Amino acid sequence: RPPGVASESQNSTGGTGFEIVRWRATSSFTSNLPIIGQPPHRVADNLARMSGGAFQMQVFEPGEIVPALEITESVKEGKVQAGFQWVGYDQGRIPASTLISAVPFGMEPIEFSAWWYYGGGRELGEALYAPHNVMPILCGLTVPETAGWFRGPVESLDDLLGMKIRFAGLGGKVLQRLGASVTMIPAGEIFQALEKGAIDATEFSMPAVDQLLGFSRVAKYNYFPGWHQTFSAAHLQINLDEWNSLRNQTKTMIRVACRAAAMEVISEAEYLQGAVIQDFEQQGVVTDMLSTEILEQLRAVTREVLDEEAAKDEHFAKILKSQREFSEVYRYWKTRGYLPRSF
Amino acid sequence: MSINDLLSILMFVSFIGLILTGFPVAWVLGGLSIVFTVIAIVLDIDLGFTLGVDWAYASLSVNRVWDVMKNWVLVALPLFIFMGMMLEHSGIASDLMNNLSRVFGRVRGGLAISVTIIGVLLAATTGIIGASVVLLALLGLPVMLANGYRPSLATGTVCAVGTLGILIPPSIMLVLMADRLAMPVGDLFLGAMVPGLILGALYIFYLLMISRLDKRAAPVPADAEPVSVAALLGVFRAVLAPVGLILAVLGSIFFGLATPTEAAGVGAFGAMLLALLRKRLKLSVLTDVLQQTTTTTAFIFAIFVGATAYSLVLRGLGGDELIESALFGLPFGPTGVVITILFVTFLLGFFLDWIEISLIILPLVAPVVQSLGFDLVWFTVMFAVCLQTSFLTPPVGFAIFYLKGVAPEDIDVRTIYRGVLPFILLQLLGLALIFIWKPLVTWLPSQAY
Amino acid sequence: MQVDASKISEVFPHRERFPHTRLSAFTRRSFQRLLWGLSWIWFGLIGVVVINVTMRYLFGEGRIEFEEIQWHLYSVGFLIGLATCMDTDNHVRVDIFHANMSLRQQAWVELYGLLLLFFPFAIAMLAFSIPFVSYSFEIGEVSDAPGGLPYRWAIKSFLPLGIALMLLAAVSRLSRVTAYLFGWPRNVD
Ligand code: NA
Ligand code: NA
Repeated sequence: RPPGVASESQNSTGGTGFEIVRWRATSSFTSNLPIIGQPPHRVADNLARMSGGAFQMQVFEPGEIVPALEITESVKEGKVQAGFQWVGYDQGRIPASTLISAVPFGMEPIEFSAWWYYGGGRELGEALYAPHNVMPILCGLTVPETAGWFRGPVESLDDLLGMKIRFAGLGGKVLQRLGASVTMIPAGEIFQALEKGAIDATEFSMPAVDQLLGFSRVAKYNYFPGWHQTFSAAHLQINLDEWNSLRNQTKTMIRVACRAAAMEVISEAEYLQGAVIQDFEQQGVVTDMLSTEILEQLRAVTREVLDEEAAKDEHFAKILKSQREFSEVYRYWKTRGYLPRSF
Repeated sequence: MSINDLLSILMFVSFIGLILTGFPVAWVLGGLSIVFTVIAIVLDIDLGFTLGVDWAYASLSVNRVWDVMKNWVLVALPLFIFMGMMLEHSGIASDLMNNLSRVFGRVRGGLAISVTIIGVLLAATTGIIGASVVLLALLGLPVMLANGYRPSLATGTVCAVGTLGILIPPSIMLVLMADRLAMPVGDLFLGAMVPGLILGALYIFYLLMISRLDKRAAPVPADAEPVSVAALLGVFRAVLAPVGLILAVLGSIFFGLATPTEAAGVGAFGAMLLALLRKRLKLSVLTDVLQQTTTTTAFIFAIFVGATAYSLVLRGLGGDELIESALFGLPFGPTGVVITILFVTFLLGFFLDWIEISLIILPLVAPVVQSLGFDLVWFTVMFAVCLQTSFLTPPVGFAIFYLKGVAPEDIDVRTIYRGVLPFILLQLLGLALIFIWKPLVTWLPSQAY
Repeated sequence: MQVDASKISEVFPHRERFPHTRLSAFTRRSFQRLLWGLSWIWFGLIGVVVINVTMRYLFGEGRIEFEEIQWHLYSVGFLIGLATCMDTDNHVRVDIFHANMSLRQQAWVELYGLLLLFFPFAIAMLAFSIPFVSYSFEIGEVSDAPGGLPYRWAIKSFLPLGIALMLLAAVSRLSRVTAYLFGWPRNVD
């Protein structure tokens, strides 16, 4: 089996009636990771089946050929044809990328999918990435992260701010603004640093992923909700020239495979978390909610931080405005349509 | 055989052939990445073989080097090298080893055993082989050679002991494996602890044996004095500083003062402080140490840079799949599969480095091993021991390369190859022990937390 | 038996067998000066680590800038260091056969190796790294960490800079090889 390359001649169908495509793709999540590691492999599998083998996308592990945080640039230049990642990794290059991947005090997952598919999100996302020669296709939608793992209880905002905490992204900025001591030690050193107390707390991922990394053994307080990432969206990024050269039939297959993957991922994520948290409790981990008071203080600062980011970046302002407008209207439904969470 | 397989094998054979010419390993690796990119492009254009390796693909090398540049964990490498250079240039290292030789001078193999013990302590502070090998070479090699130790034994000891750092936590290899298998790094750290110590013990046992069996391997110096109270006091004073330093590094990790990377900086700072206290921190010493830190760090990174470009292109040609398909055609039962996987990993380790193997093979075999009902931590630790051995196995043994870079010029690669051979056998013995007695790995993780 | 510390400090064997040319004598002087200045970077690195640890432990204050400065310093150190390694030939060679070769044979290995392996690689890496830096510059890339360092293009540009300096050192080394093999350029020893 030859490794993937860009699509061959436009008209080549290999006798199946499908366009022959040979792609290399890379993922920012290892395939052994449940939930978030799966979409690119499922998509590749489904594309091959749907096309009778005409569409072959070889998916590489993070770092195998492309480092996990270099995906956008590699896709842009056509070094690989596609990449699957949480596009928030681009926030140093494309600040607004964080808005379409995870937002503090942002939307809930289904709310995000409503905005993305029907509320103009997709068009905004595509316009954001078009100058970078990348086509982003929503391909994984998951649940909130936890608010983090702590070595001690968090009863007030002061407790939270008194800690040395590893915290990424906009949420990290919010904590910094409030005066917390935020660090970004490498992922591989988190466990040991937390165990020995070089840091007091870390945010990482959703419970089913945190469980695999064993945080529950070294930090006995796991707080919720994931105020800093109320949803997580991942995208399949495709080199725009490659995308434009595809037939509509092929484009549709990719879109459909990604929608299916997004649905599968959120279902799997919703399915797994409960039992994991139950297990944490049996291990003696305190799995509490941060108090409403703390959350309100965090939300106020989050608003400031988001507004400041919007003032610095045009795309950021546009997307944030669209999301806020949608959420304002959606709120009528969100607060009435569903039973309160405590039921 | 497909054209991909053929090119992968050719790329591999060229590497072995070309490093034997004596051209720098780093640039053989880097150069071949370009040569084979060109070959793939020519075959594509002229003969219509679509190989998927072109300039765009090859340019991923730059992104991969950037990944090395912003790797905070690797910051520990120059810091530990600085620490070693400072201890050596300020005379603290030779004080230590000279005093040790006054006590151990009458014990056959005593110096090599001291190096082993220091190496085990050092292994608990760093997970980067280049740093430990260079540091141990600076501390131990000159004194062993000056005391008439056989160069192969002296260099073999330094190489082998230096590789323990990647097994005894902290270790970037175990971190990468845990990440790749989505398992708790804490389990792997604890699981690898006992095997790492067992290997250290096996080395010491071997050194005791060989120095008795072969009187010229590690001779007792002619001027060895009887051990006196004065000698013991001298040792105590000399050991206090450097061992205290290593314990300070360990302690700052253990008491949560610093991450392992930062602990390396604490060690470097401490070494400077020690030199200052002993009034040996002259400006010339400091600038020498700083400059040699630069060159040593840079020659190690030259190999990183070349290797990352080489492996990128080899993977692009389908070298991974070649190995993969070979591994999966195995007609064995469960235990046979595990033994075969470990054996193949051991063999691959002669030619590939640990990053390659843990990226290519581990994710493939781990699910298989798990589905056969084996404990994944146990298996991964054995896998890690195989990879630790790969640093020692010729022709591509990175510990050998690093040592070669800092050893006196009259020590050739062949001497080092000869020296590591018995240690490779010890590694296999250690592996067999872990294979037979699983609790050596699984007991500690089951007790903790 | 005592060991003389000053003797063992000569850990780097310098392969100085090829004659110097005017170019190589010039680059040697320049790179030695560069090495002297550059190496203070490790002094700075140790300082930053110690300050960072102290601040976090004693005052409970973590600084992401300080964490990032650490790898900035280390990557500048090794990238620019590559050139000085090339100049003084501090590279790992498998010398099973090399050590027994005549100087002339070694010179041929060096000539072909530089021309067919080193230069293609270094030139390609230089070419690859230019769009890499310019993209970062165009989009004003900054750190993705909260409160991280700005101007990513600045640190990224040390990659092409390091390779360019290394190429210069390699040209100078090549001149020494051809001076020995072909008498051109003239040697100055
Ligand atoms: Na270690
Ligand atoms: Na090897």
